[in-house]
Amino acid sequence: MVIHWLWVLPFVLLLIGGLIYKAYRHRGEHHHHHGFGHKHGEATIAVDTYAYHSGIAHWNPAFKVVLSIVLLLFCVISDSVEVSLIIICFTTFVTVVLGDLSFHHYFEMLTIPLVFLIVGSVIILINFSWTPMTNVILCLPVFNFFVIITHDSLYVTVHLWARAFGALSAMYMMSLSTMSNEIFSVLRKAHVPALLIELMNMIYRNIFIMADTQNRMRNAAESRLGYVDYRTSLKSFGSTISNLFIVSLKRSGHLFDAMEARCYDGELLFLETEKPLNAKLILMALGVVAYCVLVWVMTRGV
Amino acid sequence: MNHIILKTENLTYSYGDGHQALKGISVEIKEGERVCVVGSNGAGKSTFFLNVNGVLKHDGGDIYFKGQKVGNSKKELNELRRGVGIVFQDADNQIIASTVMGEVSFGPMNLKLPKEEVIARVDEALEYMNLSDFKERAPHYCSGGEKKRISIADIIAMHSEVMIFDEPTAALDPLNAAMLEDVLTRLSAQGKTLLISTHDMDFAYRWAERLVVFCNGEIIADGTPVDILADDAIREKANLRKPMMLDVYEAMTRHGFSSMAEDHPKDPDAFNHWLGQLNQMQASN
Repeated sequence: MVIHWLWVLPFVLLLIGGLIYKAYRHRGEHHHHHGFGHKHGEATIAVDTYAYHSGIAHWNPAFKVVLSIVLLLFCVISDSVEVSLIIICFTTFVTVVLGDLSFHHYFEMLTIPLVFLIVGSVIILINFSWTPMTNVILCLPVFNFFVIITHDSLYVTVHLWARAFGALSAMYMMSLSTMSNEIFSVLRKAHVPALLIELMNMIYRNIFIMADTQNRMRNAAESRLGYVDYRTSLKSFGSTISNLFIVSLKRSGHLFDAMEARCYDGELLFLETEKPLNAKLILMALGVVAYCVLVWVMTRGV
Repeated sequence: MNHIILKTENLTYSYGDGHQALKGISVEIKEGERVCVVGSNGAGKSTFFLNVNGVLKHDGGDIYFKGQKVGNSKKELNELRRGVGIVFQDADNQIIASTVMGEVSFGPMNLKLPKEEVIARVDEALEYMNLSDFKERAPHYCSGGEKKRISIADIIAMHSEVMIFDEPTAALDPLNAAMLEDVLTRLSAQGKTLLISTHDMDFAYRWAERLVVFCNGEIIADGTPVDILADDAIREKANLRKPMMLDVYEAMTRHGFSSMAEDHPKDPDAFNHWLGQLNQMQASN
């Protein structure tokens, strides 16, 4: 059993080494952002800026998209905790160390889906029974019933958790390093229907318009003490939301006018910088995938 | 330089709620003209611009571009949109791409130009607006003045013959406003036809060769800035402020300081020159 975890070790060491190196490189710098959750009052959602400032923004976007999707699929198909852990370590390494995203921000981003993950897995982990059971990990009497964790449910939960988390970090590697327009253009090259891409693009853009509108209105309400106590907050929030749709609709109407004025006819096309493929990166990616396959083969059936 | 590039005849437009924003606009714009469109908020300036660009479809009347009547077919409208570019008032509503280069390329890409041509036009437009170092930047995080420059580069890259600026000086600091005026002067020198809506009468007075006054969806006056802004009735009706240079000039002539010299100085430099001439004349008398 223990021997199987040794397969994961190189990647754990890679991640730890990378984090130490990163901490060393950034020593002496001050952290400006304390506390948890995103800051209010900022004009836009940060996700887009992370991709823009990423240290691996210059990698070929198709390469990043394909690598993430391959890792994601492999993570889901293999259903192996070892493989998932390797993928988690590797993608975190790529995002946080190579991409130079602060670990704090990365973790903050992860907390949103993590909450869902934990809530979802707890329900699978725990069983209830009227009678006590033997040969289980935990059998906790509560009032007149028992909360039980069996070996099976623990196994399922750990596997589910590893799969979901692995897939998640693979997707994060892509979305935190590749700008939306690059992802859309990769999809276009992969011959995804133009209508779908256009819809994605429009929805994405309108999310930002709405977030930005909401932010402005919130700031405006806050400056007039609209969030002074809980009751007022609720009231302000309510009227902000009902205005949000009208204002956002108006703004997206303006945006569409501006697009039409520049001869938009149903396809959003932009000039992009060529980001050439790098042989070293391909080798690295192949190496990681091959290693995952090897680990999967060596650890199955145990 | 004298032939008419853009002409509207009895143009009318109503918004969906029944509000008639344009009540029969007839105007002829000559090639290479510097026109300022003035009038209070809600007078119909922006609606007019969107109509002559083909984004809003007029209810009645006709639009002629380069002598050709523009119909409602997609091809004709796109031809109009290619020839008439709008720089919108709020750059945030215009900017859509996530890099400056992508943003400026949007128009040329929609014109289905070959890639080399698109690259050449983008480079040229960025160079023109002094944005060459911004190529890879994200436009949404640029400052207000930079965004304005990007939105102008957007239209320059489309090589439109007529360029419309909807209140370009609103929300710009003095430095950026001066930059903008410089750009407008350069564009005009290159023979572009410029239509600019503004509330800044000092700017309209010194920059425009022609003023078109909108009031409640109609054109109530059309002529040189001096003629229009010196006319109290028009100014009253359209709520226009008298430009300071004109005020000073009129006050001086009222007090007997009139000269045979060059008429109506429009900026402090010209005024200085005018005073100098006045002095000389008095000395020689």
